[in-house]
Amino acid sequence: MWWPFSLSAWRAGLRSRGVQGVLILGVVLMGAAYLSALFSPRQPRTVSLDVGLSGLRVSLILFALFWVQELVGREIERRSVLFALTYPIPRSHYLLGRYFGVLGLVALASLLLGLLLWVVVLFTGTHYDQAFPVALGLPFWSTVFGLWVDAAVVAAFALWVSTFSTVPMLPLALGLAFAVGGKSLGAVAEYLARGADGDFELMRFAPVINAVQWLLPDLSRLDWRAWPMYGLAPDGKAMVLGLVMAASYAALLLVLAVISFSRREFQ
Amino acid sequence: MVTGMLRWRVAALLLTIVFVASVENLKPTPRQSVSAEIQIALPLFAQVAVTLGDRNLAANIAYIRALVVVPDKMLPEEFAILGKVQKDVSWLNPAHEDNYYTAFAILPNYGEVDAAQTILARASRTRFYDYQPSFFYAFNLYFLKHDPAAAAEWLQKAAEKLTDDDQRLIMQNIAARWVDRAEDLNLAIQVVEAMAKQARRKDFRSYLETRARRLQMLQQLRAADAKFREKTGRTPVRLEELVISGLLPALPQDPFGFGFEFDKRGIIMLRTSPPKL
Repeated sequence: MWWPFSLSAWRAGLRSRGVQGVLILGVVLMGAAYLSALFSPRQPRTVSLDVGLSGLRVSLILFALFWVQELVGREIERRSVLFALTYPIPRSHYLLGRYFGVLGLVALASLLLGLLLWVVVLFTGTHYDQAFPVALGLPFWSTVFGLWVDAAVVAAFALWVSTFSTVPMLPLALGLAFAVGGKSLGAVAEYLARGADGDFELMRFAPVINAVQWLLPDLSRLDWRAWPMYGLAPDGKAMVLGLVMAASYAALLLVLAVISFSRREFQ
Repeated sequence: MVTGMLRWRVAALLLTIVFVASVENLKPTPRQSVSAEIQIALPLFAQVAVTLGDRNLAANIAYIRALVVVPDKMLPEEFAILGKVQKDVSWLNPAHEDNYYTAFAILPNYGEVDAAQTILARASRTRFYDYQPSFFYAFNLYFLKHDPAAAAEWLQKAAEKLTDDDQRLIMQNIAARWVDRAEDLNLAIQVVEAMAKQARRKDFRSYLETRARRLQMLQQLRAADAKFREKTGRTPVRLEELVISGLLPALPQDPFGFGFEFDKRGIIMLRTSPPKL
C-alpha cells in the first residue's frame, strides 16, 4: 500500500514550481556544456559531453534533494504528514512510497536531461572531425544510469535526515554535503593510495580516509563517464560492486529512516 | 525616541564618511599585481571540492585556465605554475586529450620538460589506443633529454598503438635509427635486438637484426680505438690504422654500405649517408 504515496509524490512533484526552476538550471547547464566545447582544440564533443555529465549530476542531485525536502521534509515540518499517517497502514509505507516516488521523478529527469545532452553533443563540433569519437549508445546511457543511482543514494540519505531533523532545510544542507563528500572521497582515496606525490604530512590521513569509507560510500565509483568519452569501459566487477555498495547503503539508510520515523512523536 | 533616531543617523553619516574616504584612498593604491596570467595553483582537493566532488569538472575548469594564458606575456615563474596546473589536470583526468597536446606544445619550450613528460606518460598509460602521447614523450626524450635509447623504447610503444601496418613500420624504423645515436652501445644493441624479437614481419625483423649487427661492429671498432690510444698515446687519424697496428684483422663491412667515421670529437660513429667516392 505504499504506491498511493508514490503517486501523490509524482503529482506534487510534477506540479511544483521549484521543479521548473531546477529543470531550467539543467537546461542552462546543458547550454554551458555546448559552449565549453569552444575551449577544446581537439576534442570538442568529448569536452561538451564531459561538462554536460557534470551538469547532469549536479542537476540530478539538486532534483533529488529538492524533492525529498518538498515531499517529506516540508510535510513533517508543517505537520501535514499527520493526514497521511491517519490511514491504517504502517508509517514505513508512507516513507517508502515517497522515496520510490522521488526515484521515479529523478529517473524522469535523468531521461529528459540525458536526451537533451545527447542532442547537444550531437550538434557540437560538427565542423571538426575528432580523431577519437565519443560513444553515445550504451556507454552514454549506462553513465546516465550510474548518475541516477548516485542521486538515489543521496536521496536516501536526505530522507533519513528528514525523519529526525527538526530544523527546516537541514536535509537539503546535509544531503548536499553528503553528495560532495561521497563524490570527493574517490579522488582523495586514490591520491593517498598512490603516495600523495610524496607528501608524508598528507599520508598520515590515509588511515582516516580508509576508515571514512566505512561510513561514507565512494560515490565516484558510480561515475563511468570515461566509457562514453574515451571508450575506456569500466571493469565489470568494479561496476557490479559499485552498484551493490550503492544499493545496500541506500537500503540501510531507508531502514534507519523507517526506524527513526516510526519512533518519532508528532505533537 | 528622538535621540534614538538621531543616534542612528549620526552612525549612518559616520559610516558613509568612512566608506567614501576608504574608497577614495584605495583608488590610487597600487594593486598587488596587474598580471592577468596564471598566478596560483589551488591544492588538488580544493579543486575537487569546489566542483562538488566532480574531478572531471575540476579537470575541465583547470584546463580552461591553462588554455587562456598567453605564454608571451608570462613571467618565468608563472610557467612553473602553468606546469603544476596542467599536471593537476592530468591527475584529475589523465585521458584529457587537449591537455596532453597543449602541454607538449607549450611547457617544454619554457623549461617545464618534466611536467610535460609526467602529463604525457599519464596520457599514454590511459589512452591505450592513442599513439600520440607516447610519440611526444619519445620526441622530448630524444631532442630535449638527449636519451636516444629510452626515446627509441617509447617510440616503439607509440608504434605498437598504430593500426596502420605501414605507419607502424615507419615508426619502428625511426626508433631503430634513434638507437644508433645512443652513447651506451650495449644498451643500444639490446634495444634493437629486443625490437627485432617483437617484429611481426619477417623482412623487418631481419632488417633490425642487421642494424644490431652494425652496432656490434661499431662496438668492435670503438674497443680497438681505445686500445690504440692506450698503446700509442695518440688518436688514430684513419680507421685503417686500427688494422695496420694489428688490433683488428680487417675493417668490419657495414651491411648497409654507409660505413663508419670519426666525428668532430674523435669518436667513431655510424655514417648516415654513403661515403663520397
